[in-house]
Amino acid sequence: MSASSGSEAAAIAVEGVSKRFRLELDRPGSLKEAILRFGRRDVRDFWVLQDVSLRVRSGSFFGLIGHNGSGKSTLLRLIAGIHRATRGEIRTAGRLSALLELGSGFHPDLTGRENVFLNGAMLGLGRRQMAAAMDEIIEFSGIGEQIDAPVKIYSSGMYVRLGFAVAVNVDPQILLVDEVIAVGDEEFQQKCLRHMDQIRAAGKTVLVVSHDSALIRSLCDEAAWLDHGRLRCVGDPDTVVDRYLDHVASGASDPTLTARD
Amino acid sequence: MIRTSLMLVRNFAERETKARYKRSALGWLWSLIKPLVTVAVYSLVFGVIYRAAPPVTANGRAETFALYLFTGLVVWNLFTEVVTGSMQWLQGVSDLRKKIYFPTETVILGGAVSTFLQSVLEAMVLVAIMIGFGNISATVVFLPVALVLVAVFGLGIGFVVSIFNARYRDTEHLVGIVLSVTFFLIPIVFTPDLVPEEAYGLPVRRMMELNPLNAIVAVSRDAVYFLEVPSLSRLATAAGWAAGSFGLGLLYFRRRSMQISEEP
Repeated sequence: MSASSGSEAAAIAVEGVSKRFRLELDRPGSLKEAILRFGRRDVRDFWVLQDVSLRVRSGSFFGLIGHNGSGKSTLLRLIAGIHRATRGEIRTAGRLSALLELGSGFHPDLTGRENVFLNGAMLGLGRRQMAAAMDEIIEFSGIGEQIDAPVKIYSSGMYVRLGFAVAVNVDPQILLVDEVIAVGDEEFQQKCLRHMDQIRAAGKTVLVVSHDSALIRSLCDEAAWLDHGRLRCVGDPDTVVDRYLDHVASGASDPTLTARD
Repeated sequence: MIRTSLMLVRNFAERETKARYKRSALGWLWSLIKPLVTVAVYSLVFGVIYRAAPPVTANGRAETFALYLFTGLVVWNLFTEVVTGSMQWLQGVSDLRKKIYFPTETVILGGAVSTFLQSVLEAMVLVAIMIGFGNISATVVFLPVALVLVAVFGLGIGFVVSIFNARYRDTEHLVGIVLSVTFFLIPIVFTPDLVPEEAYGLPVRRMMELNPLNAIVAVSRDAVYFLEVPSLSRLATAAGWAAGSFGLGLLYFRRRSMQISEEP
């Protein structure tokens, strides 16, 4: 029942992961400054995640909740391979597709179509495979002829729609979704949620980060609550969301604080 | 893994090529026009104004200083374009890399492939002119060898400076200066015999000869200007430098490239 039971195959295994961001306060912007200030760097460490372990069962929907700056997005980025964990280990099984933020993974100068091919290549999919998926992607995103316009002229809604269309049409085994669905209009959100049912039926694994506790409750099989970079609890979504909301209501959380020295 | 990288290299190469000829009516023809005009201008300056003496060749058919110069320039241009391009290519994907993981060296490799193809066009112009002068032989096969060697050598340097540049944008300016100085440290606009053995107590001729680029430029001259088979030691020196530079550069790049997503 618990996420860490490990009896079933884990699609994502996060073990003892910590992430430190090293922020150089008024960091030298030039080589000259760097040389002049050699040895006197004002470096501050921020532990965005501390000793986080969780397992996402293969074929399950897993929700991550927490206040702003709790480390949810960083954890997703670590799983997506964008950053490397300072400590600990992350293992994923199968092709992973991530929808991390607005226009994630789009190159602004390329057209929508070129970006679809580029994204495909990043996920190890060849031209032929992407060409086969292209109609479906254009159809799903509702981008139409704009697919051949550079993505930098897209509206934020178009960005998200195309991003989502690509992410779900590259046949991922694991899908990471960070808040993005909320950016699209009502109609597109409905479409996404309907599509989520298909993804579930196809036995894919989905990791969702959201502030929308109702979404976590309705969509997820399991949830985890991150608080200041630490895992507070993992388990049944209703229980986790209730505990999180109780905590928020008690005023104990400080949404602005993320730094730890 | 390798398949993914190859697909990305191809994607980035196509993008770079497309960007180069974007919104231009003549497109890739510019890649022919530019070197042709360059040779014409050099012919004027060095043939008519300076009357610089070109090195003597066996058949004497293409003893034109402009062609001697152009032969070296084809190789040099590829080198500088790969080195300076590396910094721009990496910078161009730094935002992208913050949002999605991909083997980041592929953008530099892709850019280099595109630049290489461009310089192949330039080399074809050179070969066509040499054919026009009747100065051609089977040694021409060493011209692409020189181009590959210089691109690979430049990539190693490009890998390193692009990482520096991601942190300190000064790198770009510094590299620009170093490149323009280096241009005059190897015999491109002058012939090697003009360089004295010693100057200010320094063995300048020897120093020039030790420059890896000197060996690679010499290979291209052997190939299409002197029509000689480059000596094995010259080829080995050039190949050794190219392989060493590329290997170490890539190693360094791989160790540092995860930090690109964390640069502010």
